[in-house]
Amino acid sequence: MSGKTSKLTRPGLPGWLILVGSALLVLVCLFPFWWMVVSSVKTLRELYTVPPIWWPDTPTFQNYSNVLFQSNIPRYFLNSVIVSAGSTGLALILAIFASYGFARFKFKGKPLLQSMVLVAQLLPTAAIIVPLFITLRFLGLVNTYWGLILVYMIITLPLSVWMLTSYFKNIPVELEEAAIIDGASRLECLFRITLPLSLPGIASVMVYAFVTTWNEFIFALCFATDSSVKTLPIGLAEFSTEFNTDWGAVMAASVVMTLPIAILFLSMQRLFVGGLTAGATKG
Amino acid sequence: MQKQSTGYLFILPALMVLGMLIAYPVAYTGLLSVTDNAGNFVGLENFRRVLAARATPIAFWNTLWWVLGSIIFQVLFGVMAAILLNQNFRGRAIVRSVTLVPWVVPGIVAATTWAWMLHTEFGIINYMLTAPGLIDKPIGWLTNGNTVMPVMIAINIWKMFPFVAIMVLAGLQSIPNDLYEAARIDGASFWEEVWYVMLPQVRSVIVAITLLLVIWALNHITIIYAITRGGPANKTLITPIQIFRTAFDGMQFGQAAALSVMFFGVAIVIVFIYIRTLASNPEEAR
Repeated sequence: MSGKTSKLTRPGLPGWLILVGSALLVLVCLFPFWWMVVSSVKTLRELYTVPPIWWPDTPTFQNYSNVLFQSNIPRYFLNSVIVSAGSTGLALILAIFASYGFARFKFKGKPLLQSMVLVAQLLPTAAIIVPLFITLRFLGLVNTYWGLILVYMIITLPLSVWMLTSYFKNIPVELEEAAIIDGASRLECLFRITLPLSLPGIASVMVYAFVTTWNEFIFALCFATDSSVKTLPIGLAEFSTEFNTDWGAVMAASVVMTLPIAILFLSMQRLFVGGLTAGATKG
Repeated sequence: MQKQSTGYLFILPALMVLGMLIAYPVAYTGLLSVTDNAGNFVGLENFRRVLAARATPIAFWNTLWWVLGSIIFQVLFGVMAAILLNQNFRGRAIVRSVTLVPWVVPGIVAATTWAWMLHTEFGIINYMLTAPGLIDKPIGWLTNGNTVMPVMIAINIWKMFPFVAIMVLAGLQSIPNDLYEAARIDGASFWEEVWYVMLPQVRSVIVAITLLLVIWALNHITIIYAITRGGPANKTLITPIQIFRTAFDGMQFGQAAALSVMFFGVAIVIVFIYIRTLASNPEEAR
């Protein structure tokens, strides 16, 4: 990146400051996770000792076996996958059409509708939780997968529309005009030309929406009170009271919950960061 | 050449879903706020009651404290990290990835992990402070009324500063090189370059992010709710949690709705300032 400009030596931070700064940054960001992993392989006795043990002599996997075989966590994991995937997928389908409409058509009230989508994305969730709860109860959707999938669209749909619109806008409209002259319909244009060209955009929307719903806590707490639909965050919160806070098990459950996100994030990091910068500050 | 109606057809399904899930509940909140639990119209009674509640002013000041404390340090540390990551050094890509980790992990995981690290007797943090003699005896971080809010704010800062860092970094990397060259010809030092070139160039990004952080601080209540539920003795009770508890613990839907209406009013003002800011500098904000 700096190939051409390297002859202009830019003043920079002194080397030692970069080293210290980076070390501090890495330590602050990673230490809690390292401690989480260490705590998850300790026995109860090793957890409750002063001074703390930095690495147990014989790491135990008892906490993991407790979490995986003697708790509801696997079920909650499955629930989380169903709800996150369902909500992300449904939002993506709706968003593809809506974003195409916003990106390619001029119509009355478009700026207003677009800013309403942005407002929807920023809305304080606490302010609408009560009426949502009453509405879902009326529709019989409390404690169902569909209820959660729908409610999570509040989070995923505006975001997906906003991000995809900016992707679609960047695809040259001339390609479609040529196709239309050849007799293609609007839908054919969307699915044959624009969509295949926006796969990176779609992938980043999916990752972002999936991660956000996977991590969501407050909606799940209100709308999923039965263990048949509870998601992982609720399971984790429950663990602290249900087992009188067995910290080893809590830490093991935390690792189980973080792992899929960490893998997804590390493999898709470029898309993730790209989508993020596009979504949040592009006017 | 394009028919207007086709555009509407494309956006209609999404708008219907958003209308059902957002516009309708918002309108319904307004209705709930002026009715009692049986659905009778009671005028402003709910507002009067909720404003008279002892917890309301406490929650208001706590919310202010929570938002201000969080965003000031999120922006400060985020910008510092961004300036560091904007340097060319070996391993920069790894440090950058690592920096994002706190932001990516679930809030509930952050909450439980920090709660364990802050454990009074067996927490690693009390050990790290007592062992070298920085404090005499372990502090009950989460039970002591004076420390619990600063600790919550610290966790929130840890969770969100990576976002600021990555956004400001993107802004820093789009600064045209000739600005640096001009500064260099004038013999600017690194810190002068930071002050006169980098910060003014990313100012609009920082403003936009700050507003976004305010909105998020009002929105993301997972950390506080999961660790303290607003306790001890309402020391960490912020307005969104008060709404939540009024509705689901107290079953006072009308009063919760009244509180929601006021909360919503404040939030929507911030949202509109944010949108205006975005709209006023479309070129710089990218």
